[in-house]
Amino acid sequence: MTRDERLPRPPTPAGRVLDARLHLLSRQVLDADDMPLTTVDDLELRSTDDGPDRAPAADGGITGARVYTVTALLSGAALATRVLGGRAPASRWLRIDWGRVSDVGTVVRIAGTGDDLDATWTERWVRDRIIRRIPGGDHDPQ
Amino acid sequence: MILSDLLDLPVQDPTGRRLGFCIDARLVLDAPAGAGPLAGARLHGLVVSPRTRTSFMGYERSGVRRPWPLGALLERRHAGTFLVLWEDVVGVERERILVAGNAVRYDARLRG
Amino acid sequence: MKRLLGVALGVLTAIGGFLDIGDLVTNAVVGSRFGMSLVWVVVVGVVGICVFAQMSGRVAAVSGRATFEIIRERLGPRTGAANLVASFLINLLTLTAEVGGVALALQLASSVEPRLWMPVAALAVWLVLWRVKFKIMENVTGLVGLCLVGFAVALFLLGPDWGDLLSGALHPTVPATEGHAVYWYYAIALFGAAMTPYEVFFFSSGAVEERWKVKDIAESRLNVLVGFPLGGLLSISIAACATVVLLPRHIEVSALSQIVLPVAQAGGKLLLAVVIVGIVAATFGAALETSLSSGYTLAQYLGWSWGKFRRPAQAARFHLTMIVTLLVGTGILMTGVDPVMVTEYSVVFSAVALPLTYIPILVVANDPEYMGEHVNGRVMNALGTVFLVVILLAALAAIPLMVVTGAGR
Repeated sequence: MTRDERLPRPPTPAGRVLDARLHLLSRQVLDADDMPLTTVDDLELRSTDDGPDRAPAADGGITGARVYTVTALLSGAALATRVLGGRAPASRWLRIDWGRVSDVGTVVRIAGTGDDLDATWTERWVRDRIIRRIPGGDHDPQ
Repeated sequence: MILSDLLDLPVQDPTGRRLGFCIDARLVLDAPAGAGPLAGARLHGLVVSPRTRTSFMGYERSGVRRPWPLGALLERRHAGTFLVLWEDVVGVERERILVAGNAVRYDARLRG
Repeated sequence: MKRLLGVALGVLTAIGGFLDIGDLVTNAVVGSRFGMSLVWVVVVGVVGICVFAQMSGRVAAVSGRATFEIIRERLGPRTGAANLVASFLINLLTLTAEVGGVALALQLASSVEPRLWMPVAALAVWLVLWRVKFKIMENVTGLVGLCLVGFAVALFLLGPDWGDLLSGALHPTVPATEGHAVYWYYAIALFGAAMTPYEVFFFSSGAVEERWKVKDIAESRLNVLVGFPLGGLLSISIAACATVVLLPRHIEVSALSQIVLPVAQAGGKLLLAVVIVGIVAATFGAALETSLSSGYTLAQYLGWSWGKFRRPAQAARFHLTMIVTLLVGTGILMTGVDPVMVTEYSVVFSAVALPLTYIPILVVANDPEYMGEHVNGRVMNALGTVFLVVILLAALAAIPLMVVTGAGR
């Protein structure tokens, strides 16, 4: 195929189109109060009949015959492996269910507050163990 | 699987010929909504670039050409980027993605 | 009337906040060795920081995204991580220099050993970061920093040959006593001192802190376009003072006392006191900005909650980062390194790091997905592309020149 040949347009999709790396990866995740929670470091994709974490292999597990959907945004260990390589086991990922996502734009918004998410546990830890112990940690600066 | 399992992998046809590298996965929000406000995001296809492993700032798909030096440079590097529909993917392995020999290569540009 | 006062405040704060220890040291060194022949670099640097600050402020106001969030989103995690490590370390170096600068200025005022002042300075910086409102912090340090106008006053009082100074600036030549490599090395250092990366992190994050909207862009443009050039004039007056007093006597700049010597000579103890107050304010302000920048860069890259507008308990990791960087910076200073030497290295490395911050801003300023209709116009893009080339040249030449000249000896 020559470089100049016009490629055919794909069939018109029935919904909004998002390119995963371009529009979702590395995006900020905010909760309903505009509080930054974490970044989208990876996405979990599952087909309807898949088990917990089917990694790619040569035995024909993952094919185009199965429909795959995004089931969760991933954060945490997923960032280190994206930078340095490798694949962290599923138990190390911090998941945000796709069902929590309310909007995707320049940021990704989730419904409700982020307090109950696994993905924000380090923030809560530093807050409770360190910052709240220093006088004035709860003082509103405005 | 996770998205990183797909990205940067070489894409080959059944004869073993390399078509390019997977630089992105195209999702379409048309799956049943389930519990949340948004429709389900279905894996619709893979964006393949003949030469480069990664996508630099999405230049090749967004139609943004400015500032001029960067835009022109990157357009040349990414020329020939195409979309392969997910149903034409034969298998995803640890080291490569196999697509069917008769898979159609579509224009990967995002519209609107 | 109130609006006019607000605008005046913004401009004055921009002038007073423009200088930091890097500008003070580098301009004095340059004036004492090269006279006025590097003043053109200050002009180029001021235009550059105006373009750069304006663009990043506009991006933050329109898109609501601060610089390092953009770096992460557009460069991806790997390049973004490399960018983060480099930017963070250079920022830490600058922070160390600024805290050292506060201690040195306090030493000038009190004759107390700087190492005793360093923990005090760091603690004071942290207290302000912990409790003081962003706007108040900016305004106070900016306005008190205006005392540095004392350098311009000193220059007038010294009664120099203005024709000489002007011709030295307009017809730059490499002095006979210095080599070409050293000349260009200091050109890059001066450029890095004017266009510090932390200024951009701070400026764009500050825009998000203060919730700038599109309508605030015009006011910020005024502050930048009036304030920064006037700040640049103060830089030039520091260099000119050094040219008039230090250069003829071949006095080498290795401490703050030489930098303020022209002021003491021109205006005695009173003017000296005013200028020292200005130095304390300017370096203290810069220490605040670099500490905040360390928090901003790390928190924005990792997606943490950040900002002085939030109570510390709601931006816990952000505040922890700033505490740790202040401790590390103070620790480095307590080992006895010369803060002036740290400053001289920090400005050169700032020049090396500039492309890392600049390129993503330039790219996003053109992206309609972030900017809507407020993408760069032709003129902005032309200026931006010219500076892109200048910045890349400076960044590439900096380390080789540093090696060749033995860091400017």
